[in-house]
Amino acid sequence: MNAFSFAWRSLVRQPARSTLGILGVAAVGALLFDMLLLSNGLVLSMRDLFTGVGFDIRITASDSIMNTGRLIEDAEETAADIAALPSVDTVITLRVAEALFSRPEVRSRYVSFQAAGGGDVRPWTIIEGRQPETARELALNANILRRMDAAVGDTITVRASCSDALEAMPPLTFTIVSLADFPFDSINGATAGVTVAALEEACGGNGGNAADLILVASTPDAGPDAAAAEIAELRGDLYPLTNDAALGQLQAGSFSYFNQISTVLITVTVTFALLLITVLLTVSVNQRLGEIAVLRALGMSRWRVIADVVWESVLIVGLGGVLSLPLGALLAVWLDRILKQMPGVPTDVHFFVYQPEAFTTHALLMLVTAVVAALYPMRVVSSLPIATTLRNEVGA
Amino acid sequence: MTGSVQADPAREAGATATAVVEASHVARVFRMPAGPVTAVRDVTLRIEPGDYAAIRGPSGCGKSTLLHIMGCVDAPTSGRLLFDGHDITGLSDNARSRLRLQYIGFVFQRFFLLPMLTAWENVELPLAEAGVSKEARAARTAELLEYVGLAARAGHRPSQLSGGEMQRVAIARALANRPQLLLADEPTGELDGATGKQIAALLDRVNADGTALVIVTHDTGLAGRARRVLMMRDGTIEAR
Repeated sequence: MNAFSFAWRSLVRQPARSTLGILGVAAVGALLFDMLLLSNGLVLSMRDLFTGVGFDIRITASDSIMNTGRLIEDAEETAADIAALPSVDTVITLRVAEALFSRPEVRSRYVSFQAAGGGDVRPWTIIEGRQPETARELALNANILRRMDAAVGDTITVRASCSDALEAMPPLTFTIVSLADFPFDSINGATAGVTVAALEEACGGNGGNAADLILVASTPDAGPDAAAAEIAELRGDLYPLTNDAALGQLQAGSFSYFNQISTVLITVTVTFALLLITVLLTVSVNQRLGEIAVLRALGMSRWRVIADVVWESVLIVGLGGVLSLPLGALLAVWLDRILKQMPGVPTDVHFFVYQPEAFTTHALLMLVTAVVAALYPMRVVSSLPIATTLRNEVGA
Repeated sequence: MTGSVQADPAREAGATATAVVEASHVARVFRMPAGPVTAVRDVTLRIEPGDYAAIRGPSGCGKSTLLHIMGCVDAPTSGRLLFDGHDITGLSDNARSRLRLQYIGFVFQRFFLLPMLTAWENVELPLAEAGVSKEARAARTAELLEYVGLAARAGHRPSQLSGGEMQRVAIARALANRPQLLLADEPTGELDGATGKQIAALLDRVNADGTALVIVTHDTGLAGRARRVLMMRDGTIEAR
């Protein structure tokens, strides 16, 4: 009977202890798995989101990807200049304001009012209807459409709030021409998409030719880095950020908290796993000191009884580790839902993202845990004085 | 040391000068917090092939320690120990394990069968460790269980066996690799009188079949079946 079979029998012999151990490892392993998914998940998810919009450069008036309130003036002319660059394929401007939406017998709601100009491409996807074309048409997301009890083809009253100084804009009637999906919408987000002309009119002719953001798609030949360099050369006062650079900023900024949290929790969970397995194995070994001494007396080598302990550890951690994967996946779905309730988090962003590296790291960490956790019990077994233990066992 | 673990008729008859175990002025001192304790002092002893010796004496006189030294599970503090003519005093842990596995069998008072293994698997274990092929293991295990009268209980776990049956399995396990020497520490200590006699008879048979036997016992009946009785007191052999 080899060490593996022997260790397996030891586990089966004490089903309650083994089951508790395996479940304990599964719980800790699930947490570990989730923390590994979390450590890089947000960045990967955000990259998908950025890429999915179809633009690979974001131009702002400040060096931060976060909205600082500074606008790009003369946005239309700037966009045209950028569009003329050989490395640039598509350019659109994006201005975001706030507006109060009203309908008879429905509670009024504040809505993020997004105006896209330049090019034909829009940073939203039409699900039903068509793109807004005139100054009195808009596309709404499903949330606001539902809350306003409206449908495509209905009209809605809009009172825009375009800057701090100009709060009271006259109400205008818009026609809902489409149901649209806005990629950066949060789970409860209310968003409307309009033309630049519509925003200009809603804002009473103020600030229509300014943009919070200019989105650029580079040509496949040039790529985003070359295009960003050309834009920077053209307009030294603007800040073109490729998607990778924007992600880098996020990673170094707000996303770093998740990375730090996951690192701390990975350390904690691995430590828990280590302690758990060490305690289980030590108890198991201490309960079987007599048996181990007899095995040694019968001629089993020191390495053989050490191998028994290592295999027992590997089996507990292995079985618990395998169980931890589906458990971790379920937990990740649940935690993702909770975290996405946070205000401002885009619906399409996921905190826990599956990646092959996470599986590999998980397996490696569990294996190392199994071996390290077995060190102390291995030492107990290897240094066991056979004669003294036999004498003590008989005396007991 | 010979490569064979088969009982040698010449040795059974004591015709050779080579003892299975020969201890010369062996001592064992335990370092305790209250000071050193001498468990075995200046013991000189020969166990011949086919020998049957019983060690008796009051509790704590060093019987089990001497048995452990002869069985290579403990090392003497001083003195010399030969096994089959070879000095084994300074052997490495691995070499001692190998020696125990192939040439020495142990039987314990509390049987110490592995509870998660069946009687068959308990007997088979030392054979597997010695690298015996699967077919040879099966043949030897069946032979041994038949020998101790437990062929019908091969698939039973220790918890399903009586004390006497467990000790029979333990004896079969000790004989698995055809040892030259079988050491038994109070083999009837946990058994009732009738069962103890059955075990004693089995040990007689093991010895008659050529295996040298050394038993530590308080049981005068069992000791009386040995060819010689060694009386120990305060770590020394007083009478033979």
